[in-house]
Order: sequence, then C-alpha cells, then structure tokens
Amino acid sequence: MKVLVPVKRVIDPYAKVKANAEGNGIDTTGVKFEINPFDEIAVEEAVRQKEKNPAITITVVSVGPDAAEEQLRKALAIGADEAVLIQTDEDLDSRAVAHELAAFAQELQPQLILMGKQATDNDANQAGQRLAAKLGWPQATFACAMEFAGDNLTVRRETDEGEETLSLPLPAVVTTDLRLNEPRYIALPGIIKARSKPLTKRPRLTDVKSQVRTVKVEQPAPRQAGVRVNSVAELMAALRDRGAL
Amino acid sequence: MEQGGSFFGTTPARITTVADTSSDERLMIETAEQFSLNEVLPLVDRLEKQEPGLMPSLIRKAGDLGLCGIDASDQYGGLGLGKNLAARILEFMSLDAAFSVTYGITSGISQLGLTLFGTDAQKAQYLPRLTSGEWIGAYCLSEPNSGTDALSMTTRAEKRGDHYVLNGTKMWISNAQWADFFLVMAKVDGEHVTAFLVEKSMPGVSISREEHKMGLKGSSTARVILENAEVPAENVLHEIGKGHQVAFNALNIGRFKLGAMSMGPARQAIMHASGYAQDRKQFGQPIAEFGLIQQKFADMAMFYFVAEAMLYRTGANIDRAFETMGGTPDGNRKAAEEYAIECSACKVFTTEAEAAIVDDCIQVYGGYGFTEEFPVARIYRDARVSRIYEGTNEINRIFLADRLVRKLGDGAKAAGDSFISELAGRTMAKFDKNQEILGACSDLLILTFAEQSARLRAQQEGEYGQMCYDRFLNWAQPRAAIFAQRVLGEAVALPAPRPGHTEPLARRLYETRRPS
Ligand SMILES: Cc1cc2nc3c(=O)[nH]c(=O)nc-3n(C[C@H](O)[C@H](O)[C@H](O)COP(=O)(O)OP(=O)(O)OC[C@H]3O[C@@H](n4cnc5c(N)ncnc54)[C@H](O)[C@@H]3O)c2cc1C
Ligand SMILES: Cc1cc2nc3c(=O)[nH]c(=O)nc-3n(C[C@H](O)[C@H](O)[C@H](O)COP(=O)(O)OP(=O)(O)OC[C@H]3O[C@@H](n4cnc5c(N)ncnc54)[C@H](O)[C@@H]3O)c2cc1C
Repeated sequence: MKVLVPVKRVIDPYAKVKANAEGNGIDTTGVKFEINPFDEIAVEEAVRQKEKNPAITITVVSVGPDAAEEQLRKALAIGADEAVLIQTDEDLDSRAVAHELAAFAQELQPQLILMGKQATDNDANQAGQRLAAKLGWPQATFACAMEFAGDNLTVRRETDEGEETLSLPLPAVVTTDLRLNEPRYIALPGIIKARSKPLTKRPRLTDVKSQVRTVKVEQPAPRQAGVRVNSVAELMAALRDRGAL
Repeated sequence: MEQGGSFFGTTPARITTVADTSSDERLMIETAEQFSLNEVLPLVDRLEKQEPGLMPSLIRKAGDLGLCGIDASDQYGGLGLGKNLAARILEFMSLDAAFSVTYGITSGISQLGLTLFGTDAQKAQYLPRLTSGEWIGAYCLSEPNSGTDALSMTTRAEKRGDHYVLNGTKMWISNAQWADFFLVMAKVDGEHVTAFLVEKSMPGVSISREEHKMGLKGSSTARVILENAEVPAENVLHEIGKGHQVAFNALNIGRFKLGAMSMGPARQAIMHASGYAQDRKQFGQPIAEFGLIQQKFADMAMFYFVAEAMLYRTGANIDRAFETMGGTPDGNRKAAEEYAIECSACKVFTTEAEAAIVDDCIQVYGGYGFTEEFPVARIYRDARVSRIYEGTNEINRIFLADRLVRKLGDGAKAAGDSFISELAGRTMAKFDKNQEILGACSDLLILTFAEQSARLRAQQEGEYGQMCYDRFLNWAQPRAAIFAQRVLGEAVALPAPRPGHTEPLARRLYETRRPS
C-alpha cells in the first residue's frame, strides 16, 4: 500500500520574525527552516502505520525550492522510503499546490494522502480539502486518531461539538491535528540511512498560477504600556473614555 | 593539512567551523539537543538525588537513538562518525553536566581504548553492549595517591596461569556505581603499565560508597576496589607495558571532548541568565539594559565564539589525521597524539571560559543566583571540576610549551602575524622548564591558538564574528602582555583597543538566547 505525505518547508514556527525591507515578505536572513509541524506529525503517523504493516511504502513530496531537500531528508530520516521534490521558487497558494499534488497523486496512485491540516507560515488550512475535491476522494480533516480497517480507514476528529468517528473508503485524504501523535526523536542510524534513500527532483507538473498575491507584510504596532487604576469607578471611567462601554 | 603544533609558525588559509555543519549533521545535533531538553533537564532534581536506575535508564534511551557509539567503529554497533561531529553532538548532550560526564565517559573514553587498540575479538565482545547503552563503561586511571602523577600508580597485576590477578584501588571513578565494564590501568609485576578490560562480574571487583562531591551530584564517583580480581589473559588491551599509550591517547581525545562537554553547561547557563536579565527589573528597567550587565553577555558571546573556533578546528584536524594515518593500532596512536598540543589548549581555554561564563551568570542573578532555587547555582558548582579532571589545567600547561619545543625544535619561528603571535615568538625564544616561565609560555601558546582560530573564524563568518574577534583582542592582548613581561622582564606596549561592541553582542544573545 502506498501512502503519500506532502511536506512543506516553513520558517521555524518558534523563530522571532521581522518583515523584510521591501515590506512584501519575511526577512529570512539567519532564520531556520523546518518541516511544517503538522506535516511532521503526518510523516510520523505514516511511519507508525508502516511499523504495524510493513507492506506500506511512504513517499514524501514537497512543492518548493531546492532548499526543501533538507526537509525531505529529515522525513526520510524519520522513516519515509522515498522523496520527490517538485521544484518551484514561487510561493504558490493552496489552490496551485493542490493542483500540483493532485497531478502527482494521479501518477503515484497512493491509497492514502496524509498531510498537515495547515502550514504554520500562512495558516491557510485549504490544501488538503482542495486536493480531495480535485481528486474526488473522501476526506477527513483534523484527525486525532486513525486506523486501517480492511479497505476502509477509521478516523477520529475533534470538533467543537465533540469527537466524531468517520469511516472512509480508500483512497482518501486525511489532514492531521496536533493531537494525532508526538513525533519521535530522529535516531542517528536513521539519519545515516536517509543519505542513501532515493530523492528525485522534477519540474512542476501543471502550469496553474497562484491567484492569491501578498500585497504587504508589516510589523505589528508595538504594544502600548498599560495604565494602572485604583478603583472600579476609575476603571469604568477609563473604559468609557475609550468608547469600550 | 595542518600538522600538530604548526599553528605556531603558520596561519592556514581557512579552518573548519560550526558553519561547515551539513544539514544531516544538523539533524543529529538536533536530536541530541531535543534529548537533553526533553529527557534529561526535566529530571535533574531526581538525578541529583541519585534515584536508583534513573541515570542508567537515560543512557539506555540515548543508546536506542544511536547516541552511545557515535565515533565507535560501525562494525560493532557504533556509527563510525568523525570526532568533530561526535564532539558537536556531545556539546548538545551536555546541557546538564552530571548527565554529560556519565554519557561522555561511557560513549567516549571507556570505549576509545578498545576502538584504537582492541583486537577484533575484544571489540566484538564489548563494543556492541556499550554502543547500545545496555552496558555502562568506566575509565580507571587515578588512585588515592596517584592523580596527576598517574604513572606512579600502585595497582598491580600478576600472571597466574591463563589469567591476571589485579590488586589495588582506583579512585574518583566516574560511573563506578553503574558500570558493567571498566578499562583499568595496572602495572604488570609492579612495573609495566598495562590496560585491562575488566567486567564488574569478575571475581574480586567491588565498588566503595559514593564520594560526597560539591557538584556533579547526579554523576557517580566512587572507588573501584580490586582484591585478587581475576581477569582473563585475553583481556589485556594492546601490549603489556603499553598501557600508558592507551591511557594517554584516550586522554588526548578526552581533553578535546571535555572542551565540548564544558561548553554545553555554559550554553545552558547563558540560556537561563539571558532570560532572567530581560525579566528582572531594577530601577524601573530590565537589568539587561544596563551597560555592566550587557558587558557580561558580550563577554559570554565572545568566549563561546572563540572556544568553538578552537574546538571544531581541532576536531576537524583530528578527523583528517585518523583518515590519513589511522587504521592500525600504531597508526591510531599517532593520529590521536598528533594534535595533543591543540587538545590541551582547547581543554584549558574552554574550561576557563566555562568558569568565567557561569560566574557571570550567577552575578546576573544577584542574590537569587546564590540560592538553589535557580538552576545557575548547580551549573556553577558542576563546572568547577572541569579545570581539575582530564589532566588539571596546571599539568596541561606544563605539558603544552614543552611538547611544542619537542615537536618543532628550539629554534621554531612564530608566524608573527598578530600582536599575540609575535609576543609568543619572543617569549618562546626564552623557553625554560622553570614552571613559571613554562606556564607563561603555555599561556601565550593557548592565546596564540585562540587568537588565530578566532581570526580565521571571524573572516569566514561575517560581522558577528568580527565583533567577537575585536572583543577577544581587547581581553587577550593585555593578558598576553602580562605573560610575556613575566618572561621577558621588560615592558610590552599594547596596541590600541578595538571597539568592544558591548550592546550589539549582548542584544544578539538576548534575542536568540543561544550563543551559536
Ligand atoms: C568528579 C571527578 C571525576 C573523576 N573521574 C575520573 C575517572 O573517571 N577516571 C579517572 O581515572 N580519574 C577520574 N578523576 C580523577 C582526576 O583525573 C584527578 O582528580 C586529577 O587527575 C587530579 O589528580 P588529584 O585529584 O590526585 O590531584 P593532585 O594530582 O594531587 O593535584 C593537586 C594539585 O597539584 C597540582 N600538581 C600536581 N602535579 C603537579 C606538577 N607536576 N606541577 C604543578 N602542579 C602540579 C595539580 O594541578 C593540582 O592543582 C575524577 C575526579 C573527579 C573530581
Ligand atoms: C546570602 C545572602 C544574605 C543576604 N542578607 C541580607 C540581609 O541581611 N539584609 C538585606 O537587606 N539583604 C540581604 N541580602 C540581599 C542582598 O543585599 C541582595 O541580594 C543584593 O543587594 C542584590 O540584590 P538582588 O539579589 O535583588 O539582585 P538585583 O538587584 O536584581 O541585581 C541583579 C544584577 O543586576 C545588577 N544591577 C542591578 N541594578 C543595576 C544597575 N543600575 N546598573 C548595573 N547593574 C545593575 C546587579 O549588580 C546584579 O548583577 C542577602 C543576600 C544573600 C544572597
């Protein structure tokens, strides 16, 4: 059984970032890049499933710049079997990425696409849903547990109303939530093994263009110092002054 | 390729630095850092109380990740990686010093003798158990009456049929309580220093109670008592009478690695203190904003930069030496000896940098630093022993200049391409075995190696490196002058000071909370 895991190269979510001088993006000098944490959870889940069922092969794919090889190698070190880099230096929107992934999935024919629910750089939360729609496959988003059951997949997902359990026929698209698992430490022998696992680079598979354009990136205004009040009456007056009441 | 000691006479075009780390090496380092942050640091209070089984369980966990045999040969469960990468990983495995010693010894000098000098059968018998973390290893050289003067040991070995009988007491043995395997130096017939592979389960081996230490309380330090201990003859490592080669070459590499083990806790102290300085307010502002506090952080950044420049330059050279000379026991010995001078320079500089850093961190905490409520007091206590073991800093100083003279000959000329190098050249011309002169010569050699390493790293690593280098010169040049004056007996004029870059260096530490 083939499992496809798309991974995105994102700025370290814990880095303190600044807008760049042109005001159209983030200043990336000296900033670390990581696998999008939700995607790392997807890779971890795929590897756990493979540990239960050795017949699974895991392909990781990234649509991104050459530097994303670093993130693909990390996924291989965690335990994926092969990696594909679909090269582009453009910052594609979710729609364009979904088109790209759909074309790749049609070629690979995986039974399952497992991916992060969103990327921590733009938080769009769309690629998985769009991809499922494009392929005409069932989808389960925000998975917090999953299990194969014959030709189906059982997925638990957390919603505002409570926990839902879904059963999906395969092939399907599943997007991962934080609670699905906790990614392991990457064992050193795995990192060495990853050096000799196949990583293929290829050009884009479609010519779909981004429709979303970044107009401006600005630093948030610095927080103003607070004011101390001595009584409830003063507090009410201050709130009234600011039009908050 | 640089030769051992060649830094004195020539400046290479470039050196290996942490910036040369490849992305998969970075992944390994990240695993080590995550392991320290998530598995070790949350347990330090329990480790300090020596909760039974806890430390060995951490070693086993590290073994499961492949961390216990990084530079052991890969046929025996090791990963066969270079010493430089192993040291970089060790730096991040060393955020807690007590875990660091335990781990450093079992994954380092307890195995190194086997890797360098063991027969295939010896390696096959012991390395897989040590590299997997199933067994813990110890290294037994010191005795109650023989520390620095290690070869005056009195532990004896007598051949009886197919085994040796060992008698004596080994003192200060790290990991003693938990170890299953001991690399023991003893004198065959009271004369020929020889290394033995000893198992805890062999008859006549016992462990005394724990020493009551001022720091590293989470580590085990105890005596290993050998009372008619029976060790099979095939457990002699290397040759009879060549145990000093095993012991001292393990120490050469050990000194280099101790450098990395000293920078780990310093890194952790900086992490804590920079956070504290930004939170703690006095006179209406964070103390981080005061110039005298910023000076401390700027110094920490500088020391860290220079220490790492020396360490990872040396490690890369050691790796190259093993590639070109290693393979046989004799070749391995030559490779491990080649950079003995640089290893000593790294040991002295990094452990003294560590001391300065942790002391400043206590000062940043004010009265709170003096209590055990905050982690820096423990880090401060732990750091004190770095200047004592793996050869006291005195004995390393006595060794350094003497070794350089023996290696390069009396008339060796200094590169002379910096104020410090030029002073070192003039001073070394007056070399003498009188310890005060010898010590001053060694200090100048350490500063020469530090200055050159920092200069090259700065050239390779841009503006931040240049700031650290400027600040280092302001610290190092007056010191170099003091040492030179002591030997030359005349005044030395200092060059003009460089900009100190106090605020930008401190601010960068506050922002990243990581010295590199
Ligand atoms: C926590 C801890 C863990 C240790 N772990 C191990 C271990 O695992 N295995 C092991 O074998 N050993 C271990 N040691 C021992 C350590 O290596 C010795 O303590 C060290 O070598 C110093 O020896 P000593 O304590 O006998 O001091 P001494 O040799 O008595 O030295 C006392 C002082 O005299 C100075 N001195 C000695 N000789 C000279 C000289 N010729 N010229 C000038 N000054 C001199 C020293 O520098 C020092 O300042 C450990 C020690 C400690 C504290
Ligand atoms: C064992 C012990 C006993 C004590 N006994 C007493 C006692 O009997 N009575 C009593 O009243 N107090 C006592 N103290 C408190 C002691 O006087 C304070 O710890 C000391 O004044 C420092 O204050 P602090 O700890 O709040 O540090 P902080 O004031 O927070 O200082 C932290 C750091 O910031 C630096 N700093 C602060 N302000 C500036 C500035 N403007 N410019 C540059 N640097 C600055 C400090 O020098 C220090 O390095 C005791 C403390 C200890 C540890």
